[in-house]
Amino acid sequence: MSLSRSGKVLTGKPRRIPYAAYLYVLPMVVLMGTFIYYPIFVNFYYTLHNFSAFSLEHAYVGLDNVRLLFSDPVIRTALVNNLLYCLISIFFQVFLALGIAAVLEDQLFRRVSGMLRTIYFLPVLISMTVVAMLFTQIYAPRGLLNSFLSLFGSNVRTGWIGRSSTAIFCAIFMSQWHSMGYTTMLFIVDIQKIPAELYEAAEIDGANRLQRFFHITVPRVKEMFFVLMVTTVSGAFLVFNDVYILTRGGPGNSSTTLSVYMYDMAFTQDRMGYASTIAILMFLICILLTVVQKVFIKTGEVD
Amino acid sequence: MTTKANYQPGSFKKTNARYKWTPGTILILILLLVYFVMILYPLIWMVLSSLKTEREFFRNIWGLPAAFQFQNYTKAWQMGISDYFINSVLVTLSTIALTLSVAVLAAFGMVRYDFPGKNLIFLLGMGGMMFSAQVALIPLYRVIQDLRIHDTYWAMILPYAAFRMSITLMLIRSYFLSIPKEMYESATIDGCTSFQTLLHIYLPISKPILLTAAILIAYYAWNEFLFSIIFIDSRALKTIPSGLMVFRDALNTDYSLLFAGLTISALPMIIVFILMQKQFIRGLASGAVKG
Amino acid sequence: MKKLLSFALVLAVLLSMAVLPAAAEEKVTLRFFHRWPNEPKGPYMDEVIRKFEEANPNIDIVLIDPVLNDSYKEKIRVLVGSSDIPDVFMSWSGSFGANLVKSGRVMPLDDMIAANPEWADLIVDSQWGPFQYDGKQYGIPWSMDGKVFYYNKTVFDELGLTPPDTWEEFIAVLDALQAAGHEYPISAGFSAEWAVSHYLGAMVQRMVDPAVVAKDYALEGDFTDQGYIDTLNVFKDLSKYMNPDPNSVDHTYARNEFIDEQSVLCLMQLAEIKYVADGAEFEYSFFDMPALPDGKGDPNELEGAPEGMMISSETKYPEEAAAFVRFFINPENGALMTKMTGELSCVEGAVNEESISSPMQLEAVELIKKASDTTLWQDNAVDATVASAFMKGGQLLLTGDKTAEQVMEDVQAALVQAKQK
Repeated sequence: MSLSRSGKVLTGKPRRIPYAAYLYVLPMVVLMGTFIYYPIFVNFYYTLHNFSAFSLEHAYVGLDNVRLLFSDPVIRTALVNNLLYCLISIFFQVFLALGIAAVLEDQLFRRVSGMLRTIYFLPVLISMTVVAMLFTQIYAPRGLLNSFLSLFGSNVRTGWIGRSSTAIFCAIFMSQWHSMGYTTMLFIVDIQKIPAELYEAAEIDGANRLQRFFHITVPRVKEMFFVLMVTTVSGAFLVFNDVYILTRGGPGNSSTTLSVYMYDMAFTQDRMGYASTIAILMFLICILLTVVQKVFIKTGEVD
Repeated sequence: MTTKANYQPGSFKKTNARYKWTPGTILILILLLVYFVMILYPLIWMVLSSLKTEREFFRNIWGLPAAFQFQNYTKAWQMGISDYFINSVLVTLSTIALTLSVAVLAAFGMVRYDFPGKNLIFLLGMGGMMFSAQVALIPLYRVIQDLRIHDTYWAMILPYAAFRMSITLMLIRSYFLSIPKEMYESATIDGCTSFQTLLHIYLPISKPILLTAAILIAYYAWNEFLFSIIFIDSRALKTIPSGLMVFRDALNTDYSLLFAGLTISALPMIIVFILMQKQFIRGLASGAVKG
Repeated sequence: MKKLLSFALVLAVLLSMAVLPAAAEEKVTLRFFHRWPNEPKGPYMDEVIRKFEEANPNIDIVLIDPVLNDSYKEKIRVLVGSSDIPDVFMSWSGSFGANLVKSGRVMPLDDMIAANPEWADLIVDSQWGPFQYDGKQYGIPWSMDGKVFYYNKTVFDELGLTPPDTWEEFIAVLDALQAAGHEYPISAGFSAEWAVSHYLGAMVQRMVDPAVVAKDYALEGDFTDQGYIDTLNVFKDLSKYMNPDPNSVDHTYARNEFIDEQSVLCLMQLAEIKYVADGAEFEYSFFDMPALPDGKGDPNELEGAPEGMMISSETKYPEEAAAFVRFFINPENGALMTKMTGELSCVEGAVNEESISSPMQLEAVELIKKASDTTLWQDNAVDATVASAFMKGGQLLLTGDKTAEQVMEDVQAALVQAKQK
């Protein structure tokens, strides 16, 4: 390696430009430039064109695709589904997960909490493909869910993922099953960092369990709370795997989401320009969430 | 900053009050147990179903198999799961190797040098966290074609590494920042080149953070689905998440075999978790903060 | 350091794997691409390639790693447009083949056919048409198929029912089955959209004026014919006889319901005989889609287009490539295909007593030959965006979310988008 020691240490004013530094960062710049920044940049160009994945001809169409985006009823369906995903996920993966974490860390449940925590976390370790294929069988007309419901009465044969009223909720519920253990675990990690003395002192002051939760636990996990809020929201607006594998957006487009619709446009209908426009919409949502994150959470770039 | 989360498997608040079971707390316990069953039962059902015959699967959905059909596992393994498994291992290890190498170099360059454009490069490096794969997907498909790496391992490894770069860089960089600069200076005086310093001084002390980052990358690469269904066509190159789709199509409706395949696919991460619970949780926790 | 070394090693291994094996210099190398990585067709293809290489030691067949359906559609289009175009490849007939031919890189095979009249005579006549574009023959039909209603003959015989020719008869049969306790006589699985298009494609052909369909499918019409709406309504009425929520299960599930005697009828491909023959413990047979009420199309057409082989016009070895195609599509290997895979070979006589796994396959060939013409699969016959509007619309028609009129509005909107592509 011929990287010289001419590189200047941070202290002191650099007299010469330490070219070695550029060599160090070059691979990263090339990698991210090629696979993240260039594509995102090109997306804006693609939006203004209609083209097929299999030809090099791009027909300039101006803002036609953007106009189409605003008038496309499927986009509205997708946004509603993403929003449902988002709201339900916030309830389960942020609020309920915090509650469960607090309960599991409570002295009263110490005997069972270790095992519960580990089991709750299990689905996180299983990839979504496996989970979705498992749930396809659970939701099937002769699947586990209907067999369970049939125990309480007449023979249930509902095809849960084949109805437009239930399909998206099948995916959302599966997603909670998969991810709630993850956020619960993160809250547990955070709660464990709270000094026990705080709780003891509060107890001596006569605070009950709820008071302790709201006055000690909640303020101390605030940062994690916002972090998970933002990641849950962005996860909900980008969700692809769950829906794609379980319902493929069907029946019709009733359970589609922005990502699944984009995939459908690009890779089944070969409308790459319009797919890029949907990608831009998701891009704007990402940016918006990043801004929100920056406002609510300190950057935490340097320890 | 929550990157150094202390997860303690057995730690509880040591409060001494004498807690009593009240109707409220009993209700909570019941709810916890219901949730417990809701998680565990489908998994147990998956394993049990994988040991049934195809007919039993439909006729006897709740019960135990009459005889355990262990050959379902060997069959599933031979029907392609073994290939997907090996591909997943290869792609995951390579992604870890590439991401860590590139991130370590970049982090070192940024921590130890001051140079024009450093802020811009820092922003570039961190900015990746803002963007998800979906946003760049369409042009990326073209890039992959133009680089002629479509349908090769590289079509997964390179984008994976790019999209995991920011979080990895952030973890490693903040760790490097905590290493006293005197160590660097004394090594330089001893005649080490800066690259030697990186190899002999920075890397050895950074082992914990490298392990954390590696787990985080592995978790991502092992489960990644979107790129692997779009950039890979050949069955022979598919990883587990995308390969399972082919596996399912090839089976028609032999669900017990499908469940055997699903069970095999679910195991590796569970094993890694059992072996390295602490690092695993720490990795995911740090990933959550900026992931 | 050790870590770095092992990383480097992994990367090096990967690099070496990514490099393609260098092509042999002296030998003639033909690159071949098909779409069956799985059993039973994958092993069949391998076997024929092996036999061909044995018979022609100077020719080396390099198989491009086969990929499934959708991936194949995507990859073959990319490959045909690139410098990597395979010498020989499989294609669907109809619009899919037309798109490949449009690239100008597929070889017309009329000369080859003229030079080998005896061989060409072996191929079932009705199968050539779907591979003709602008009066030239671009593909050699290889396997033939048809979409028909399979029915449980044992049940039909018990109840004294006969296969229907008209829609009224069909409904009467279904009513009789329901009256006899078969609550859901037809099993159907529409969770994968294409299954919807197989119903709608055949029904539209029988209902709507052929001239209108031809114009509309070519994207030169407007999809406003009342016949489409009528077709959709007939489809919706038919769904009353199907298992509830057919959108929630896939086609293989529906087939299994038929085999398990949970249903009496199922719309399936003739290529599926093998699966039914393996599982069914009853007598079964099949009939073509009955005529629709007041239909303007020929009710004797059969839905189901052949698949076939094409040769690149860029190939360096046109002679050898043609020899390979002729070898694949000959009586011996046609019979082997039927034997190993259950698919019906387009070669006359290849489906015979020796090669069949079920006598029904002989009947299937008769049915195909009897048909007046071939109705292309709808998702091959019309642009993907329009086809998707039909398929998604069909799903939502069954769930009750959309009326037939609304579905056709979506189709018309899709037409506008399709024209802009």
